Amino acid sequence: MKISIDWLKDYVSLDLSDTQVISTLNRIGMLVDEWEETEDDTILELETYANRPDTLGHLGVARELAAALGIPLNMPDISIVENDKQIAEHFDIQIMDEDLCPRYCGMIVSGIEVGPSPDWLQKRLRALGLVPVNNVVDVTNYVLFATAQPIHAFDLAKLKGSKIMVRRAKRGEGMRTLEGRDVALSQDMLVIADEKDPVALAGVIGGEKSAVSEATRDVLIESAYFDPVSVRQTWKKAGVQTDASYRFERGADIKFPPHAAALAATLLTQMGGVAYQGMLDVYPKPARPKAVVIRHHRTLELLGAEIEEAFVTKTLKDLEFQLKEQQPGIWQVTVPTFRVDIEREADLIEEIARFFGYENIPSQLPMWETVDLSQDRKRSLETGLRQLMFHQGFDEVVNYSFTDPAREELFRRDRGAIAIRNPISTRAALLRTTLLNGLLQTVVWNKNRGAEGVHVFELGHIFSQDEEDKRELQAMGMITWGALEAPHWQGPGLTTDFFHLKGTCESLVASLGYQAVSFQSQDHPFFEAGHALALHLKGTEAGILGRLKPEILEAYDLNEPVWAAEIDLDVAFEIQPHVFHCVPVVKYPSVIRDISFLIDRGVPYQGIKEILDGLNLPYLERHTLYDRYTGTGVPEGKVSLSLRFVFRHPQKTLQAGEVDALQEKIGKALRSNFEIQLREGGEN
Amino acid sequence: METLKNRIQGLRDQFAQAAPQVLDQAALQELRNLYLSRKKGHLTQLFELMKGLAPEQKPAAGQEVNSFKQYVQSELDRLEKELQAPSRSGPSVDLTLPGRASYWGAPHPVLLIKERIEQIFLRMGFSIEDGPEMETDFYNFEALNFPPHHPARDDWDTLYIDDDLLLRTHTSPVQIRVMEKKKPPIRMINPGKVFRKETPDPTHLPMFFQVEGLVVDHGITFAHLKGTLEYFLKALYHDSIKIRFRPSFFPFTEPSAEVDIGCTVCNGEEDDCRVCKGTGWLEILGAGMVDPQVFKNVNIDPEKYSGFAFGMGVERTAMFSFQIPDLRYFYENDLRFIRQFSKK
Ligand SMILES: [Zn+2]
Repeated sequence: MKISIDWLKDYVSLDLSDTQVISTLNRIGMLVDEWEETEDDTILELETYANRPDTLGHLGVARELAAALGIPLNMPDISIVENDKQIAEHFDIQIMDEDLCPRYCGMIVSGIEVGPSPDWLQKRLRALGLVPVNNVVDVTNYVLFATAQPIHAFDLAKLKGSKIMVRRAKRGEGMRTLEGRDVALSQDMLVIADEKDPVALAGVIGGEKSAVSEATRDVLIESAYFDPVSVRQTWKKAGVQTDASYRFERGADIKFPPHAAALAATLLTQMGGVAYQGMLDVYPKPARPKAVVIRHHRTLELLGAEIEEAFVTKTLKDLEFQLKEQQPGIWQVTVPTFRVDIEREADLIEEIARFFGYENIPSQLPMWETVDLSQDRKRSLETGLRQLMFHQGFDEVVNYSFTDPAREELFRRDRGAIAIRNPISTRAALLRTTLLNGLLQTVVWNKNRGAEGVHVFELGHIFSQDEEDKRELQAMGMITWGALEAPHWQGPGLTTDFFHLKGTCESLVASLGYQAVSFQSQDHPFFEAGHALALHLKGTEAGILGRLKPEILEAYDLNEPVWAAEIDLDVAFEIQPHVFHCVPVVKYPSVIRDISFLIDRGVPYQGIKEILDGLNLPYLERHTLYDRYTGTGVPEGKVSLSLRFVFRHPQKTLQAGEVDALQEKIGKALRSNFEIQLREGGEN
Repeated sequence: METLKNRIQGLRDQFAQAAPQVLDQAALQELRNLYLSRKKGHLTQLFELMKGLAPEQKPAAGQEVNSFKQYVQSELDRLEKELQAPSRSGPSVDLTLPGRASYWGAPHPVLLIKERIEQIFLRMGFSIEDGPEMETDFYNFEALNFPPHHPARDDWDTLYIDDDLLLRTHTSPVQIRVMEKKKPPIRMINPGKVFRKETPDPTHLPMFFQVEGLVVDHGITFAHLKGTLEYFLKALYHDSIKIRFRPSFFPFTEPSAEVDIGCTVCNGEEDDCRVCKGTGWLEILGAGMVDPQVFKNVNIDPEKYSGFAFGMGVERTAMFSFQIPDLRYFYENDLRFIRQFSKK
């Protein structure tokens, strides 16, 4: 909000430089975002605070400054030129809904010549970036920006009858606003009506019919208090937000309407108008001021600073709170009506801290007791996963959690996507059900910008729903396409493939401490048939990996293979990891046996591995597949596999005979489970 | 005889000069042919030349030629070995060629800063807590002193799923959830993603990361808030960073504070600094003493316990730390941007 320093000086005698004014305001929490020096003024861009509506006018800001500087606040002068007519004899105001309008004041100023405002007033408005309209409109704007109390002026001649009614709109009523917009009214909206029609949307905007024009001579000044929630709902429904509604919805000062009306009348009579005597002030149930108790010892307990009693009482009094001592160090504080934010003792302590100065409060580190660190396992797992992915050469990305319904359709699974009711755009209308959609877009974005390989991962939440529930899961996605490394002078770089992705998944599972891992072929809507595996941890499915199917890639104009995996971390983190124990290093030498055989190409390696693992051979340290060959010398439909077995006895050197027996057992197991043809046995 | 000796000496010098130039097998073969070729290699020619000498000169000449032949042979063997097993030193390898490194993936800069922030609080003995991104109106607003029609809700343009469910606009709901479950002392941070209905531009994003924190215990004061956050900011930036606490007005803390640091770009010395707009200060944290009503909402007695809460935007902090000019960089996922943070 724009604040003119020159205008502030109408209410407080400032003998300070601009910089001093700014630092004083900042010090008490009125943040000056920017400022601009003009010819004879400085305009501040002051931050606004939803719970400090009293500072939405120059007088309120001046009050804060006066308290901070310990100088008096000068209220605007009221001096009204009156004629001999009593307003009450000529006009009437009736409030039909006291909840939505607890107070309504009206004054009449007659004989005004509508025309340009005096220079001083035009200057005030221009300083805030407003364009002067005419003297009547300018006065209403001036009062709003001076006092934060919105007021309105009706052309008295255009009101039907001699009565204002504050009532809810009737079914089917409508109104054209000052701005020329037609608003359909509903029964929950409060309107100001003459004896026939609505003439203003209460607290929001006036109607066109009763607006002040060049021809206007007599005006009715409205100065009222409207219920914040009602004003808020009304402007939202009508789609019209104004400087007035902005203030009413935050809470106006219920004590102030008569003062604002009188200020407007003062200015209009200075410009040639004459006011009717008296004021209509309908205020059926005057508000009881709020009272809050403050205990001096609580300032120390909450602030950690020794603040004297005298400072507490002086600060509150400077801010126009009234204090009544109940017992030594304890006061009952009556809150001024403009301070809608003060509800509790803590609010008063905040006032004291603000004016005491945060820089004067000491800086201490508390003596900590230990706290429950139960979330830390998950956190350290996440940290570990990220480090592992960096090590595997994957870059980390963060995609939006929103997604384009057309794209999401490509990744449709059994559960549906959750829609956002008011999305930022139709292309961001759903919450993502998978991380792979975003990751694929990352591939495309970077490919289009010259990347030759993209290998990225993301940790994040995914969302889905069915008839029963809405679900939010933590997932990890990874995707890999193209060159893994730049060509080097010693040779061409590697290119990614399924096994790069699978190896990464294997390391990932190992880093989580899971041993019982299996990969099982699975058909999955994201992946090409026969090119997907499900990852099972201790028998629970925890993820899926494979080659994305062509229909998906085509939608992104990709014609090279892309491999991707998604792991459900909620499942993975939930499973108890294998307890790690260190195994002593054996000093006896190992015996290595290589076994090569021909087998049908259709037999999955996993099947062979399971048979071998199932043998539980003694002294077998490990076995690995070290060669896989098809080509010259291998019959059509067959593949040659070479496995290496490493045997070691913990307490002695193994004898060849002992190992021969084990090797024989392996050969037998393979022969009895598969059609194989042993090629040559290796002995070292 | 003298001619022969001179000739040998000349050939020996030529060989010694040529040997270091041999960098590959082809050059080696060429050198071998030059000296040992049966047709017109230098040694074949020397043996031919020897034939024309007087018989009494032959033994001495034979010794000279044979010794030179042995020299050539052993030098060629040495060169051969060097070429086969690249030597660790010597002129045959160009050590200025680029080395071979494995690629180490880059962290996302926002998560990099988030992790740094977490590490500092972990050192101070804070726990790290998580919560859902899809939240209820109650946890996101009401439990934090935002009644249904409070205009303060306008400070957050909220994305709604239905009347009750929304995308959390801050991570504070996690604090309410923790306070409902755990008894004080509580000392936690709750980092995470938050959402607002904003169109992306250089200074706004519809999704960003926050780190918020909460301390609840007996006798926690505003002085503790100051001490803790000063320690944190010094650890995150440096020991002599300028720190300023300013009053502010948040509905869920009393007193409320905003914390500024001295501009990390111009150090407060440039009137036209784009980052601090010449004020010399950057707003980095919001903080305050927890409102007693918030404690009552979760059944903690505000007369027995007190506490402070704070929050910061991770993107802003990353922008200040790395001088990133535009918020949109963060979620475009351009690897030319992200890879700059590898090994940082
Ligand atoms: Zn700067």
